[in-house]
Amino acid sequence: MLKRITAAAAAVALVTLGFSAPAQAATKPDCSKAKFKIGVVTDLGKVDDKSFNQSAWDGAKAGAKKISGGCATYIETTDSKDYAKNMALFADAKYNTIVTVGFLMADATAIAAAKYPKIKFIGVDQNNSTTNENLTGLIFDEDKSGFLAGYLAGYLTKSNKIGGVLAAKEVPPVYRYGQGYINGVAYAAKEQKKTIKTVVVYHEVGATMFSDPAWGATTAGQLLSQGYDVIFGAGGGTGNGALAKVAKKKGAFCIGVDTDQWFTVPEAQPCLVTSAMKSLSEGVSDLVNLASVGYSTGGEYKGDAAIAPYHALASRVPAAVQAKVKALTPKVLDGTIKTGV
Amino acid sequence: MKEFLTKRNSFIGIIVLATAFLYSKDGSITTSVVSTATAFALPLALAAMVGIMCERTGIVNIGIEGTLLTSAFAAFFVSSLTSNILLGFAASVAVGSLLGLLLAVMSVSWKMDQIIAGTIINILATGLTSFLYVQGRTIPSTFPEYDIPKLKDIPFFGPVLFMHGPLFYFGIFVILSLYVALFKTTWGLRSRAVGEHPSSADTAGVSVARLRYINVAIAGAIGGLAGAFLSLELVGSFERGFTAGKGFTALALMIFGRWNPLGALAAAMFFGMTQAYANQLMIDQVVQIPTQFITILPYILTIIVLAISAGKVRAPAAEGQPYEKENA
Repeated sequence: MLKRITAAAAAVALVTLGFSAPAQAATKPDCSKAKFKIGVVTDLGKVDDKSFNQSAWDGAKAGAKKISGGCATYIETTDSKDYAKNMALFADAKYNTIVTVGFLMADATAIAAAKYPKIKFIGVDQNNSTTNENLTGLIFDEDKSGFLAGYLAGYLTKSNKIGGVLAAKEVPPVYRYGQGYINGVAYAAKEQKKTIKTVVVYHEVGATMFSDPAWGATTAGQLLSQGYDVIFGAGGGTGNGALAKVAKKKGAFCIGVDTDQWFTVPEAQPCLVTSAMKSLSEGVSDLVNLASVGYSTGGEYKGDAAIAPYHALASRVPAAVQAKVKALTPKVLDGTIKTGV
Repeated sequence: MKEFLTKRNSFIGIIVLATAFLYSKDGSITTSVVSTATAFALPLALAAMVGIMCERTGIVNIGIEGTLLTSAFAAFFVSSLTSNILLGFAASVAVGSLLGLLLAVMSVSWKMDQIIAGTIINILATGLTSFLYVQGRTIPSTFPEYDIPKLKDIPFFGPVLFMHGPLFYFGIFVILSLYVALFKTTWGLRSRAVGEHPSSADTAGVSVARLRYINVAIAGAIGGLAGAFLSLELVGSFERGFTAGKGFTALALMIFGRWNPLGALAAAMFFGMTQAYANQLMIDQVVQIPTQFITILPYILTIIVLAISAGKVRAPAAEGQPYEKENA
């Protein structure tokens, strides 16, 4: 009997340790006493995914800094059934602004916004067709930065084979990146009057689509072994795995996503020529500041798209190509040149 | 002849014939697909070995995912902190064995429910690796991929088998040794006896508890190898949730392979092939079917094959039951 009790006690102790460990992480602030409270609910992914969740979280922190008495904290979603529950945790604690990150949370956010009319909701990557004034969808033209990245790739490839390793197609921002990329390559191919083969490989949709680096690396390896020499890795940890794999292949280029991954994925530096970015942090920070003065745009708010600097790889991008990309960028961003997505 | 034409052999035969046919149509693509499949398969096969080692001696281990995750984490961070990937590898094997011992303590000494014991390991792994994770660290290098001279020039088999890194070959060696050890040695006979009928083994003078401890710890070390392969050889980085469910897929492959190391290796290879071919369908864009259908192919095919081969699979008889000496 005693043995059983010891065993049960040990089990409980271990489980408690397991559950409580992440909550004790030193980086997670306690906002319970702040004047203006901002809560970030991440998608199925981590707040330090070096990609979109992290950018949104950085934006919330930056926004909080500019507000007197501002404080931001987060909850990481581990199961898509918990979206509403996680938002309710913030709402019931009287948070002033709730930022939800990711397309998959759009419906849950719209429901929560209707339920808590006094709280300002910011839905990152979420199209918003509701009339709720307290809900703003922050969206981006990912196809534009994808297009620019593809255009650059079209001028860098030597094998005339360009690939992409992406999270699931069912996630619209991922799809827009991928399709913009393909069309950008096609645009560059047409300018050079040559044929370039472009393919993107998607991960299956599901809980691991943004956190499967081994799949990303293996799939990137498959493309490399078939002669693809520029590879776009997009989709949290899955894309990061692809970048890390391409970095090991001499002469190949890789392209990151969402933020300037030169800084967030240092192991990719040997191949990382640019990143297809969206200004998530700035967008979230702006909207949080608007919310702090009681203002919410409602509807949709469009953030900026761009591609990252070449950093150390500038020497491998011919000056003529750099000039071409520079000339094309404003035309794509203002819509003069259509991305076709 | 009749003995040779088993369901298993004809299944393997079909795969080999299909591969040969595809190779004759486009050699370089098929080579690339099959070598990609081996990279998909090895970590899964090693993870399945963890399950086989444990269940053959009567311990159910659903904590494989946690073992992989923790050891991949240890491999990466020890390599990063010491700038030495060999130390990272050693750390990952050590951490794997420790988790194996933890499982043994819970399930052999404390006689806990083994499903709960495995779940504890998984929860512990997620918690610890998230808590201790620091961003922005890198490792000095990954384990290099050798191009073995001469052998690598053999068409098809060269790129598929002889262009991998050291942990890959070590993994294959472990799988083959485990097969020999399990079915051709005294240790293997005793281990299986303990998994099937512990009281008989006990009567014959085998210490059930001791053997279970040893085997579960060795299994943990193999899990450590799988984790190190993922973070130090295949990818070269670590992210939270890095193993993405491979430890659970491995359990299915273990059953598919009928608790036999070679069977599980073949099952993992089959699963890897379906993944690589699913990718190739998207790369070639020959058939215009929605990607949703392509990406679920590996799982559907595995379910179909499992359903066909089911019925004859039988788990070790004593698995999941703590052994208590009868008081005569």
